[in-house]
Amino acid sequence: MVIVKRKELSFSEKLYLPQILQALSHSLRAIFKPKITRQYPEEPLQTTEVTRGQPRLALLEDSQNLACVSCGLCEAACPAYAITIDGQETDRFIEREPERFEIDMLRCILCGFCEEACPKDAIFMSGELELADFTRAALVYDIDKLKRPKEKLQKRIDYFYQVNNRWRKPSSTS
Amino acid sequence: MSPVLVWLVKCIVIYGGLITVAAAMSLAERKVSAWIQFRIGPNRVGPWGLLQPLADGVKFIFKEELIPEGANPTLFRLAPLLSAIPAMLAIAVIPFAGEFSILGQDMGTLSIADLDISVLYVIAIGGLGVYGVILGGWSSNSKYSLLGGLRASAQMVSYELSLILCILVVVVLSGTLDLRQIVADQSGAIWNWNLFALPVGPVAFVLFVIATFAETNRHPFDFAECEPELVGGFHTEYSSMKFALFFLGEYCAMTVMSCLTTVFFLGGGNVPFWPEAPWFMQLGCFLTKMGFFLFLFIWVRWTLPRLRFDQLMALGWKVMLPISIVNLFVTGGLLSLGWF
Repeated sequence: MVIVKRKELSFSEKLYLPQILQALSHSLRAIFKPKITRQYPEEPLQTTEVTRGQPRLALLEDSQNLACVSCGLCEAACPAYAITIDGQETDRFIEREPERFEIDMLRCILCGFCEEACPKDAIFMSGELELADFTRAALVYDIDKLKRPKEKLQKRIDYFYQVNNRWRKPSSTS
Repeated sequence: MSPVLVWLVKCIVIYGGLITVAAAMSLAERKVSAWIQFRIGPNRVGPWGLLQPLADGVKFIFKEELIPEGANPTLFRLAPLLSAIPAMLAIAVIPFAGEFSILGQDMGTLSIADLDISVLYVIAIGGLGVYGVILGGWSSNSKYSLLGGLRASAQMVSYELSLILCILVVVVLSGTLDLRQIVADQSGAIWNWNLFALPVGPVAFVLFVIATFAETNRHPFDFAECEPELVGGFHTEYSSMKFALFFLGEYCAMTVMSCLTTVFFLGGGNVPFWPEAPWFMQLGCFLTKMGFFLFLFIWVRWTLPRLRFDQLMALGWKVMLPISIVNLFVTGGLLSLGWF
């Protein structure tokens, strides 16, 4: 058994008024301190290459064709079944490209497994975070909404290789 | 101008001002609370968020009105009125400034009514405010509302005693029940204020301010609302304009209590060391003092934690009431000895 000895309060402490005045001066000083509010739509969240935002498809250097060869590894790796790929043949060197590449952004959990699974450096987690629309259908993103020039994703790509260099070598096509 | 017209103009101006102050308080409450918490506060509606009260009002009007099942519909509708109207009525006798004239027209004194028993009137009207809270809580047919209403009424009744005893000290010091005479009694130098009527003035002032917080159900005595425990207290079941009326009543009561503190202890509209100040200076002085107390209401809200209910009752009955009674007796004793 522990006997807690309560501190005997002095008269001024029992009066509480000095303490209340102290607290009031504290909260008055708080009024003039700098504010920490971020005015969101005007000041968007500052993202870095470490930010794991929504996945985006990287274009090749020609800014025309996707790097994706529709191998389906990301589709298989996706734990939320957010990715749907239909492939088709192409005359280009890589021979295959996606006819349909859809990511259901409402299902996507931004885990980054697709990025890790991809052997062709075709899909990366971008810094884009905003996701709002009026219908569910509009939030199933197709190739047009997903493709990004490679330069836009370059920081993320560099970061990705920096952390994965120990076990992964750059792919031959990128 | 005929006296009726003058009186009508004063009514419209003063009540319009009261509603405006109440609306501004709803914005100030959010702004100041935001500043104290290192935030900015509402700033989207209008410049600097100034139109926020209007937006709130529009929203309140367009909300659906619900009367809960099993509620007493008559009392349920009556309660917000009983909360708001007494709070507004008390402003009628507040002497904002002395004689004034506009465009050469003599308008009399700047208050709606100059009663010779205005202190009595204020106390009587202020005592009615508890009906709105208890009826709102009881007629909603909800246990949380009932508990909130009960606690608030118990609190308001017990703190009203200390409040009135502190007012009595002022009445004894000034020897009148007329608010205007009380103000006139404190004119001139700053130490003529009842606040500095040593040794009883400061004690009465502190007790009075604490009691006004309890009377208006503000932090740290907001047992009527108690968001964590009672999901909103006596106005849990209210929606739409009825809910807004409760808030209007609360802000009006705060404004009236600030006015009364100013009148009783800070010399009302007296400009310090300038007894013959023009009426607009008096009005400005009055509004400055009143504004300080309105700010104090918000300031204290974001500084002190809420008391426990038994602590509240202990403070009211075991501390404040005895001190108020002793204070009143000391005042009378000193007065009979010729101290004042």
